[in-house]
Amino acid sequence: MTANSNDASQLRPGLWAAINERYPGVMITKDDFIPLAHLKKPLTEARLTFVSSAGVQPKKTMPFDVVHPVGDYSLRRVPSSSAPSDLEIHQIKYPTNGAARDLNVIFPIERLQELATEGVIGGLTPNFFSFIGYQMDPPTFEQTLAEEIAAAVVADGADIALLCPA
Amino acid sequence: MQRAIERRGVPTVSITVALDITEHSKPPRAVFVPFMMGHHFGVPFHRELQRQIICAALDHFVKAQQSGEVHRVPVTWSQARREGIAIEEALSIKNMKP
Repeated sequence: MTANSNDASQLRPGLWAAINERYPGVMITKDDFIPLAHLKKPLTEARLTFVSSAGVQPKKTMPFDVVHPVGDYSLRRVPSSSAPSDLEIHQIKYPTNGAARDLNVIFPIERLQELATEGVIGGLTPNFFSFIGYQMDPPTFEQTLAEEIAAAVVADGADIALLCPA
Repeated sequence: MQRAIERRGVPTVSITVALDITEHSKPPRAVFVPFMMGHHFGVPFHRELQRQIICAALDHFVKAQQSGEVHRVPVTWSQARREGIAIEEALSIKNMKP
């Protein structure tokens, strides 16, 4: 239980405890905050990357293994120039009824493309980065996939990263 | 994940719909929206709302002063759904025209 466990503004209060009760030990808890990295340029010059656990992937790429008992710790690169019709979702752990009609509700690739075109942000990295959540082994997740994506984000030249844990 | 990116010098903001999970995982910066899971940027075809959530996150890159700051976007799920339904109805009407 935390101060925010029953915050009435959440549609699903107590989610951390509910998942951790069903799958003991899978939920991450940290004891400290890490120092902030600082913006090195204004947003209008910053190249943004998007990182998502929604299971969005280019059609014809290897589908995420959504029924693996321990988790699928692989990543997919999603070209930031993709159209929603180029992409599909392989994940069953969150409601996709909205995304099925408009992918932008969970993977707002068109809105990000517009903001880059308008100059609100400096641009987009060549790729966005996608994986699936609900991993059953937090240490493996943090030591492998998290580090792999962090390295890929840097290699793609990101100045800022927007993340969306689905 | 978010902390791993931030540690490499790239500022991060995450969009969350679960404050208690955010409180446990302690990301460097987060923006909270009181929306349904899987609908972090709102409802289908509501471009303005989708953009508003992203822009709130962009603003948080600039304004957040301390690690762990969570910004609450002043939106509600019921309002988002009402607006989304109206947008879809308008789109349907438009699509039915010859």
